Amino acid sequence: MSNPALPGRSDLRRALSSNGALLAVIALLILLVLVGAGLNDRFATVSNLTNVFEQSAGLGLVSLGQTLTVLTAGIDLSVGSMMSLISTLASGLIDGDLARAAWVIPAVLVLAAAIGGGNGLLIHWLGVHPLIVTLGTGTVMQGVVLLYSLTPTGAMPFELEWIAYDRFLGLPIGATITVLLFILVALMLRYTTIGRDVYAYGDDPEAARLMGISQRKVLIFVYAMSGFFAGLAGLYLSIRFGIGDPYQGQNYTLASITPVVVGGTMLTGGRGGVIGTLFGVLLVSLLNNLLNFLQVSTHLQLVVQGLIIIAAVSIYIERKRGLA
Amino acid sequence: MSGATQTGAPAFGGEFFARYGIFLFLALLIAGGGLISPSFVSSGNINNMLVQLAPLGIVVIGQAFVIISRGLDLSVASVMATAAVMTSLYTSDNSSAPLIVASALAMALGTGLVNGLLVTKRNVSPFLATLATAIMLQGIRFWMTSGAPSGNIPPLFKQIGAGNLGGVPISLVIFLVIAVVFWVVLHRSAYGRALYIVGGNPIAGRLVGLSSDRVIIIAYVISSTLAATAGLILAGFAGVVDNFVGRGFELDSIVAAVIGGVALSGGRGGIAGAVVGAAILIAIFNLVLLIGAPVQFQIIIKGAVIVLAAAFYIKKSKS
Repeated sequence: MSNPALPGRSDLRRALSSNGALLAVIALLILLVLVGAGLNDRFATVSNLTNVFEQSAGLGLVSLGQTLTVLTAGIDLSVGSMMSLISTLASGLIDGDLARAAWVIPAVLVLAAAIGGGNGLLIHWLGVHPLIVTLGTGTVMQGVVLLYSLTPTGAMPFELEWIAYDRFLGLPIGATITVLLFILVALMLRYTTIGRDVYAYGDDPEAARLMGISQRKVLIFVYAMSGFFAGLAGLYLSIRFGIGDPYQGQNYTLASITPVVVGGTMLTGGRGGVIGTLFGVLLVSLLNNLLNFLQVSTHLQLVVQGLIIIAAVSIYIERKRGLA
Repeated sequence: MSGATQTGAPAFGGEFFARYGIFLFLALLIAGGGLISPSFVSSGNINNMLVQLAPLGIVVIGQAFVIISRGLDLSVASVMATAAVMTSLYTSDNSSAPLIVASALAMALGTGLVNGLLVTKRNVSPFLATLATAIMLQGIRFWMTSGAPSGNIPPLFKQIGAGNLGGVPISLVIFLVIAVVFWVVLHRSAYGRALYIVGGNPIAGRLVGLSSDRVIIIAYVISSTLAATAGLILAGFAGVVDNFVGRGFELDSIVAAVIGGVALSGGRGGIAGAVVGAAILIAIFNLVLLIGAPVQFQIIIKGAVIVLAAAFYIKKSKS
């Protein structure tokens, strides 16, 4: 049990170690493309890689928000229910009418951020582990969305389909916007006070408190972001499929954590970042795509997914033992 | 329950409510439920709830061991389903029963060991370690059954899962025996004491010379083994197997443990509380349906109860 806890670790060393994880993911990504190209000549084509990129946008958006909660040593297990809630609500209220979409979409995004912020506030007030709080609120949300509708309902306006399907300069629009959002959040984490507070709080909540950083503010911020991006993912997927589904997000809760971990963000908080997650999303999506090409059964793909998580967390040994 | 081994639980009288409030709550729930809907306390319905309690109760006991060690076991549902699928893997008569039980136990032992080793030797967070093994087991199970399990369950398992012994469900008897045995292990054995120390304060555990790794690994093995047992019982109860026997049990067992006062911060809680937590959960689900509320309210109430129960215990331990 070698535990590389390094008291007084310098900033330089920290930068190197987090960049090390980032470089490792990028190297793995390149390796995967090269190996894939050798194994199947249709894999490393521009059209296939672009398709994989396009399909990874939904997972990318949820994982982007999830990264922020993990950076504070937390976790958001309500993201899947949030996606289902927002997509079903939006689709039901819009019902194919573009004019209604103009107010429904902003309204449901505000709702998503507000519910997420509520998660943060609850965690702060109750002092209960985020895992339990978000599991609880996520379960409540799932119940509420099923009260609203048990089956996919309404319709998203087809006039918006370009977001999910069109290309600009050969790049899929939805996925490209997702990448821009990743960059925006990365800049926000680096150059704004709240962004630096997130890292400080995740690294050592007690020290952060002594430095005058408000726990309440940090928690509301990261869970609001997580809720917002989960809501955005729900909207994106419902636009892509044309309709909202009360079970849409079901598999996304746990799936959103894999890219975060693979991208080198520690579940114990304070280390890693969203750019790692971006490459984590691409890595997971490309690997699934390659396994499809190699006609590996979807059953064995699950085994591979489990192995990736174990490999990732075993490589980036965590500093302190925590629940999540 | 003298609580002599429950480190961290304050002994003074003001904490009486925090400690025994859960038993009071269950009594009030049953009495109140009976007032709202008399059929709630009919012998048929109580029998029905006890049959539902058996598998969840068995799983929650194992989950309690892991949580007391300061961990979490998300793989229990996958272990249950894998054990269930194994009942139809060999011949459909009783001669294959020993082989089925042996395979299920071997699978459970392996899963528990992997979980425990990842958590202790590799310092992987329990959440991720058990999530990863759950996903892998699911893949292996699908691959084994090519997605759709087929074949018949030996009659012996159906008897155990759905049969009665002098009017008492056999599964309930098995559950009670397990509860007593593991109550003794947790509250009256050297291992139980070690588990509370390691979970409550890992550094103190190391100082008094406990091998905390071994203690933790054993907790995960207990959890997997009990989950496999519950999976076999549930498969017998249903009479047919599918790939998702036990779906939801990972979260329900954690919720039940938390309701029963098993603290996620480790080192606190006990078997009686955890089992009562499971009983409360099942009584609430049952009541929601009896009063004719939409089934969605089961989900909503479950979610609210998780947060409220956790908050209740946190506030109590702080005051």
